[in-house]
Amino acid sequence: MSPRFPVRDQVAIVGVGTTPFSRDAGKSDIALAVEASKNAIRDAGLTKNDIDGVSATMLGVQHVQAALGLEKLTYFLNCFPTFSQQIVNAMNAVFSGVCDTVLCYHTVAVSPNNSRAAAADPFRIRAASGGLSRPPSPWPDSLAFPPSYAAWANRYFHEYDAKREWLGLIAINSRTNAMRNEHAVMRAPLTMEDYFAARMVRGPLFGMLDMDYPVDGADAFVVTTAERAKDLPNKPVLIHSAVLGQTNCTVEEILPDLEHSAHQVVMDALWARSELSLQDIDLFQPYDGFSFICLKWFESVGYCGVGEAGPFLEDNWDKEENRILIGGRVPANTHGGSLSDGGTQGSGHIREAVLQLQGKAGNHQHPGLKSALLGVGGFFPYSGGLILRTE
Amino acid sequence: MPDSNVKEVLERFPNTWIDRDNFAMFEGFLEKRMLINRCQDCQKYFQPPWPSCPNCWSENVEPTEVSGNGVVHTFVILHTGALVGVEGVDYMKGYPLLVVELEEQEGLRVTGPMVNCANEDIRIGMPVRLNWIERQGHPVPAFQPA
Repeated sequence: MSPRFPVRDQVAIVGVGTTPFSRDAGKSDIALAVEASKNAIRDAGLTKNDIDGVSATMLGVQHVQAALGLEKLTYFLNCFPTFSQQIVNAMNAVFSGVCDTVLCYHTVAVSPNNSRAAAADPFRIRAASGGLSRPPSPWPDSLAFPPSYAAWANRYFHEYDAKREWLGLIAINSRTNAMRNEHAVMRAPLTMEDYFAARMVRGPLFGMLDMDYPVDGADAFVVTTAERAKDLPNKPVLIHSAVLGQTNCTVEEILPDLEHSAHQVVMDALWARSELSLQDIDLFQPYDGFSFICLKWFESVGYCGVGEAGPFLEDNWDKEENRILIGGRVPANTHGGSLSDGGTQGSGHIREAVLQLQGKAGNHQHPGLKSALLGVGGFFPYSGGLILRTE
Repeated sequence: MPDSNVKEVLERFPNTWIDRDNFAMFEGFLEKRMLINRCQDCQKYFQPPWPSCPNCWSENVEPTEVSGNGVVHTFVILHTGALVGVEGVDYMKGYPLLVVELEEQEGLRVTGPMVNCANEDIRIGMPVRLNWIERQGHPVPAFQPA
């Protein structure tokens, strides 16, 4: 039997660009990638606004995206050379429809090990020195990574007159769900008093219970065709819609505002590729690496307007069950989320959605679920979204 | 960039990612000048210091001194972080880190610690100005109430 290959002759290379080659270009690796990329995009008769995917070797996509000013990507991937995986990945992304037009690049540079001249170049020596990698921003007190979430939460609280109780509800929802889940590591009951008593870590808003709980562990998944899935023992969980989202802000302090983050890139593209709408969703799995990310996901997917997530949680809080049930029906983070199941950067949210849709969630199985919406990631620079469903 | 300057800047900022694109920024720090890349064609400032303009793709880009005047866009009081043990950083008391929107351009933001102001008195929207501090053997941009 010949293998399936529905992509045959369906995806094309339409532009190519390069730079002059030399022993010392006197430019950074980013400058070279930018030069070749501009040449390729212009050669294709396109502009930066036409690019919605990037597939590259190990020079960070987020840096090159920002340097080129590519505003929104719904697909991006760095992987090691040799250079052919990058073309296969681009082909797959275009064929699937995760994005339409992909920029692929590969940058090479003479290393200090390659020549005496290179070994005398202070910038090449610095780039090759142990333990250093290019940060999101070279600024000495950049917000990059964890501090940024507390800082942007502070801005949100300022703009929308928010209450810290709203973050407390996120933490309590995760804990209540975790209490039913034997896999979760944090299963003791959690009250609002406990939440407020937790040690402050990134003031004025983030205490110990606003941050995911670090664990040792792993999750793994097997993906195949829906056709093949029919012959396998588990109930198939179909990937109904899936995209990534990345903005051109490598670093958090320059994000214009929280309405122009990776969340919006993801959700605009995810809904556009879905036949389901929010009313059809049975399970919501919003990423909660920080409580505030989770709060914001309720707005980003469209359950409520900007600044309204807190009142929405209060209105949809089931007092008897002590957790969120949206419209009295849809639970959120049924495994306990990263806050209480354990910090997994999102794999736990997907594991749980699959188990729930298969009806294999054991003690914490929620009845009758056929679809799940997953917002997996923070605001910057990238995030992801999935809609999973069963027949 | 003269070789002697490169050597000095790299020595004063050890264990720091310094390349041809961001070198001028660190060189400016040693002279207590805040330099931000500005496109000479479309006139936009941008951060971080990319080698070409992300807005119009011009390569006519100059590191340009800015005033350092601005307002607090947001802030965080850190009780944990990467500067454990560094002189002048007290995570027990709380290290006040600001995001400052500079007066030169809407959305042009930089970061730095607040000085000469109690943590409890920091407010979003308050005007601030640049005030360099010395940390780990070199000047670092900080801010104080204007």
